Formats: sequence, C-alpha cells, structure tokens
Amino acid sequence: MFEPIILAQILWTGIATSSPYVLLTVGFALTLKVTGLWNFAQSGQMAIAFYAMFFALNAMAWPLVAAIAFGIVLTAGSAILVEVYGLQVLRDRRSDSLMFFIFTLILAEFIIYVITLLFGTEPETLYRSILSPVDIIGGIAISEWDKLGVTLTAGALAGLYAFMRYTKEGQFLAAVADNAKLAELYGISAQRAYRVVAVISALFIVAAMYLIGSHGGIVPNTPLELVLSAVIGTLLGGIGRVFAAAWASVFLALIQSFSILFLGSRWQNLLLYGLLFATILVFPRGVRLQRLWGR
Amino acid sequence: MEYLITLAVLIALNVILAASYNLVIGYGGLSTVAHPIFFAIGAYTTGLLSIHVPELPALANVVLGMAAAVVASVLLAGSSLRVSGDYLLIASLGFQLGLLQLIRNLEFTGGPGGLSAIPGTIVGPMRGPLFLLICGGAALACVLIIRAIVKGPYGRAIGAMRDEELAFTALGRNAMSMKIVIFAIGCGMAGGAGGLYAYYFQYISPDQFEVLASAAVLTMVVLGGMGTPFGPVVGAALLLAIPQAITFLHLPQNIMAPMQGIIFTLLVLVFLFLRPAGILGGKGHPR
Amino acid sequence: MTEILRVEGLQKRFGGIVVSDNVHLSIASGEILGLIGPNGAGKTSLFNLISGVLRPDAGSIFLRGQKIDGAPLYKRARMGIARTWQNMLLFRSMSVLDNLMVGPREYVGESIVRLAFGRAGVRATEAAMQERAMGILARMGLEQTAGSLVVDLPYGQQKLIGLARTLMNDGDLLLLDEPMAGVEGAAYETMQRVVRQESEAGRAVCVVEHNVSFIRDLCSRAVFMAQGKILQDGTVEELISSSVLTELYFGV
Repeated sequence: MFEPIILAQILWTGIATSSPYVLLTVGFALTLKVTGLWNFAQSGQMAIAFYAMFFALNAMAWPLVAAIAFGIVLTAGSAILVEVYGLQVLRDRRSDSLMFFIFTLILAEFIIYVITLLFGTEPETLYRSILSPVDIIGGIAISEWDKLGVTLTAGALAGLYAFMRYTKEGQFLAAVADNAKLAELYGISAQRAYRVVAVISALFIVAAMYLIGSHGGIVPNTPLELVLSAVIGTLLGGIGRVFAAAWASVFLALIQSFSILFLGSRWQNLLLYGLLFATILVFPRGVRLQRLWGR
Repeated sequence: MEYLITLAVLIALNVILAASYNLVIGYGGLSTVAHPIFFAIGAYTTGLLSIHVPELPALANVVLGMAAAVVASVLLAGSSLRVSGDYLLIASLGFQLGLLQLIRNLEFTGGPGGLSAIPGTIVGPMRGPLFLLICGGAALACVLIIRAIVKGPYGRAIGAMRDEELAFTALGRNAMSMKIVIFAIGCGMAGGAGGLYAYYFQYISPDQFEVLASAAVLTMVVLGGMGTPFGPVVGAALLLAIPQAITFLHLPQNIMAPMQGIIFTLLVLVFLFLRPAGILGGKGHPR
Repeated sequence: MTEILRVEGLQKRFGGIVVSDNVHLSIASGEILGLIGPNGAGKTSLFNLISGVLRPDAGSIFLRGQKIDGAPLYKRARMGIARTWQNMLLFRSMSVLDNLMVGPREYVGESIVRLAFGRAGVRATEAAMQERAMGILARMGLEQTAGSLVVDLPYGQQKLIGLARTLMNDGDLLLLDEPMAGVEGAAYETMQRVVRQESEAGRAVCVVEHNVSFIRDLCSRAVFMAQGKILQDGTVEELISSSVLTELYFGV
C-alpha cells in the first residue's frame, strides 16, 4: 500500500484535483485582500458560470469557445452588477461588515434558488461523459483533464502574478488593498480597483467551474461547498496573502488524498473541517488586528 | 386542527430562534450566522438524553440541551472574539458546518438519516394543545426576557458598546465578557427551542440546520426589524405563514421548494436595500 | 504632592516607526502637565500606552506606586485612569445623560445576575449615578441638554460631554487628548474652568494640546515630545523660550 509508485500517483492526483480549488481560492482571497470582503456571492457566480456553460453546450449545442465566452460574459457581468448596485451602495451607506455578509450570502442563495427552479436538482456535467483519456507516464496515470487543470491553473497564477507585478492596474490593486483611503488621495480609484477584481475573480471562477464541471456532477448547491473550501484555503494561507492561499489549497487537497491511506472516505470532509478549526484556534493571524492597534 | 396546532408550535419555536438571534446580532452587534447550530445542539442533546436516559424528566433534558448550547457558544465566542469581531463570523460558520458533518458521520446521532424515535412524552388527545401552551409560553417568556435585557442599565451598556467599543472599554466596561454573555444567552435560548422541537416532532435531521436555516432565521430578523423587540416575532410569523399561503396554489414540489427560497431571499434583499430597518424598525437604518 | 503616575522606560514601535522611545514621566496629584509636540510625536500613543489601549514592548507603568503593566484597558479604568479621545468617541445613538451613565468606575448594569436579583439595589445606585451625572452637567451649564442626543449638540458642547463622561469615573488620573481642538467661546471658558477645578480637587491631569495659550494658562509644567522621545521637561515658559523647540514646533 505504501509503495513509492502508489504514493507518487496519489501525489499527482492530489495536485491535479486541487487545481480548480486553487483557482477558486485565489479568486476569493484576492477579493478579500482588495475589497476586505468575505464575498460569499462568489458561490452564486460559480453557479452562474457552470450553468451558463452547461446551457450553451447542451441545450444550445454551441461550440466550446462560444460556451466559455458566454460563461465569462454572464459571470463577469453579474459580478460587476453585484459590485456596482450592491456592494457600492452598502459602502456608501457605511454599513458594517455584518450587512455585507448578509447581502453576499443571501444573494448567493437567491441565485442558487433561481437556478434550482430553472435546472432542477439532478447532478449535471458539462459533457455527457466525464471520462478523460489517460496516459501512463513513468508508471503514473495522467489524464487529459489532469494536464488541462494543472496547466490552466499554473498559467492563471503566472498571469495574475505578472499582472499584479508589472502592470499599473495591478499595482493600483495592491495600493487599494493596502489602504483604500490613502490610495484615493493619490488619485487611484478604489471603485475601479474593486471592479477589476470582480472581473479577475470571475475569470478564475469560470476556469474552475469548467474544470469541475467536466470532471464530475454539479448540483445547484455545490457552489456553497466550493466557496467553503475557498474560505478554508484563505484562512490557512493567511488573510491577505493570495499566493499562500493557493499553496494552502494544494496542501489541503494533498492531505485529503493521502488520508485515503488512513481514513475511511466518509471522514474525508470532516478532516477539512478539523483543519479549519485548527486554523481558527491555532493560527488566527488577525483579520483586523493591525487596524485595531493603529487607532 | 392538528395542522394548525403544528404550524402554531412551529411559529412559537421560530419566534424563540429569531428573537434570540436578534439579541445576538441586532442588539449585541455580534456577527454570526450559525444560530441554527445551537438549536441543533439543544435538539440533539435533548433527543439523545430522552432516548438513552429515560429516567430523566423531560424538563431536565431541555435544560441540559440549553446548557450544552451555552457551553458550546461560550467556547466558540471565547476563542474567536479575542481575534476580532469578523473572525467570529467565519469561525461560527465553520463550527456550524463542521459539527453538522460530524453529526452526519457519527452512529449514535442517527447519521445523515437523522435521529428518530424520540419519546413523545406527552400523549393523548391534549398533546397538541399542551405543547402549544408550553412553546407559546416559552416564546413569550423569551421575548419578554430579551426586552428586559435590552432596556435599563444593561441595554444602555449594550448600546454604548455597539456605538463605540473602544471608548466603552476605556470607561471600565468589560466588553468582551458582555459579548460572551449576550452570545451565551441567545444561543442558550436557541438550544431550549431545539429541545422543545425534538420533543414535539420526535425526529430531527442534520439537513434542517444547514446554511439554508441560517438564511431563514436571518430573513425573519431582517424582515421584522433588526434590533427591535417585536420585529422577530412578526418576521417569524410571516416567514412561516407565506409558504402555507403558497401551498394553496398546489404547485408541484420541485417548483414549490425553490419558489419559497426565492421569495425569502428576495424579501431580504429588498428589505436590505429599501427598508433596512425592517417592518417594525423606526427611521434610519442599522449600519 | 503625592505622585499619581510614574512611567519608566516605556518603549513601543510599530514596524519601523518608534512611537515611544525610553519615555520616563511622573505626574503628581494636583498637577496639570502639558504634553506638546508635533503631529506624530507619540503623544496620543503615550496616552494609549498609559490607559492600556496599547501594550508597550518594554518599560513599566505605576499608578499610585503600584505596577499596572498586566492590567487590561477596562481594569485600568476601574483603577482610576480616566481619559478622553481626540475625536471624542461619544455614544452617538444615546442621550447626553446616558452617555454619562455608562461612565462610573463600577457599573451596575454590567452584570446580568445583579440586574436579575438585586433590583432595589440597582435602582438606588442608578438614582445616585444620575444625580452625580446631573451635578457634573450642571457644573458645565449643560443640565438642559441631558435628554438630547449627543449628536444634536454643537461641537464644543460635545467636547465637554466627552470630558463629563470621563469625570464620572472619579479617577485620580485624567488624560485629556486635545480637549480644546475646535472649541471656542463659552465652551472654551467652561473647559478651562472645569479642568482647573479637577486639578484643584487633587487629580493629576495630563493634557495633549496644540493650543499654546491654553497650556500656558493652565499647566504648571510641560513636556515636549518628538519622534517618540521626551526632549525637554520643564515649565511652560522654559519650553517656549527654548530655541530648538521653537524652531521644531512653534515654527517661529
């Protein structure tokens, strides 16, 4: 059971499986970093992304590129709408964090209910078959899906890094994340930064939902679980550290896949929550600790 | 008749749930959405005790259910509030989902299928009316106790804490312990309602306490008016009455369920933006 | 004169910024000490360290000779350290009287158990506290405002309410953070009079203030701070006549 080849297989599968979760976590963590919000409305956007592509591919029989474009337009569009007509209104009203939280959570549920009404609660997949051709490389089974997932995720992360590092827009994001009021004094529009982040995370969400939807069944409620794994990754990586959150979600996936060796499958999810709790209690590296000291 | 009594019992229990949640978030200003899990802790504790320790009187079981909810809430608030107020939000959500996962995976809780065969305790033709009397009385007591808490010297302290916590603490007030006490009282009441629920319905399942339940109780509070003594009562009654009204349309179940959800969530969204103070709230809006 | 507060070797840094650098200070009962210096000199941070909002990296604080380093913010208030805030931090949704009523060192409303089982006692204490609050308001000529919301008052009166709330503490040490900023006319006179009366009653008072004439009129002694350090400690006249400080701060 502990032969190197088996361990290597588990390692690879764990990494590959983690790729959509990494994308979702990065989108979530980036939003938290720049806007300061635990944006649960993203689970609504996940549902929109998947069902838009599902509808385009199956009901309309559109080509893949058109379906993905459709998914991007709807997801990014809804993210912008939420930003402009929801979050900004609450910001202007100086609502406290609970109001933002209520809004994003309830909005996500609203979207999910509407989608349930439209599509039902049967698990759906993007393609009829979720089987993906497998190559054996060095004794390890590597599927086409694995390859796509890993390259897509690596590419997206590299793109985000370059964007944050080398473009003016990306540096504006960092400035707003650091101190939105100060950034405004220097002529950087926080609102614009929030919208840019909404679009970036929408792109990450579409990519992730394509991967997840071509790998297994999705029901309207699935995104609520997905956003939770993003929360855990974000907490584990340390709030405000987007790329650390990405590593944390790889780490989480690996722990889950290696735990197969020791634990029954029904304890898998529980392990995730156990980790969440250990994180909350042992490494609670303050959500707002610095700001409090600053006063 | 039986149907109406069950509805009334359900409203009474939800009044307790909503009123206690209102104490925690509306008055105490504590960010949490995990209120249904304390209802669940009370329900499971009471249910399991009544099955496995039949010699204990029913009242003791309900009280122990409340105590379990209080202990859990103190542990949760004590550990996470030290970090920050926002952290309680995330920690409570994690606690809710993690504990439900645990309940689903354990044998003695009945697993995902739920805990059934809870003794009925009160039998005979008067069972319904008697339960209604008990639950209604408990709901009334909770609403009045909460009103007493938020009036007078304690209420003044709560208001000051919500307005300016730093200045409040610097005047010599222990804000941390006050928050934990408010949280514990609210969660204890929810636990008691859970215990009564277990006795009346004789069956509980983990699915009832998911995030959807959080959204429902949140809806009751936001709809009725956050931080008003009787808002949650109105909210709870409305929220349970609306679905009953839709039942008469005779829609198929696969349309009914999401329709209800859409109505609830839409109501919250509309109220959040157009009338943030709720039905019974006065001018201005809670921040 | 008995010593009320002594600060020894207080050290505090945030990242690269030193807000308190080996600060030694002592204030006696009946004394009004002025704390002056440019913005960012660490004056408010010193208040935060003394009152317990911030924890020092090193150094100790003594109240009436007793070391209080381990005590959190609320306990220090109960020991008699009373402070105001630059931006007042009044309880905006509450009336003037209610703002004051939260201020006593021991507050009956804090314990649910006492409220539930000692109703008569609670009522008596509340009545006594209300009388005291009205007394303080009367000293400021503000008894008419007791029922109004604090936010409805003009700015100068709000500043006075901030002081009045702190006086409910009846503490030995008063820390006043820019009490005069934005205050003019009658409120200015009242503020000056009340602060003087408090010091005459035996309290140790420490004032952070940019208004030099206020400092000159009230303070027996003053301390000049810059970059977290105490640069000079002496009479107000000495400080103002010091050429280095004049250049650094008064900009003459």
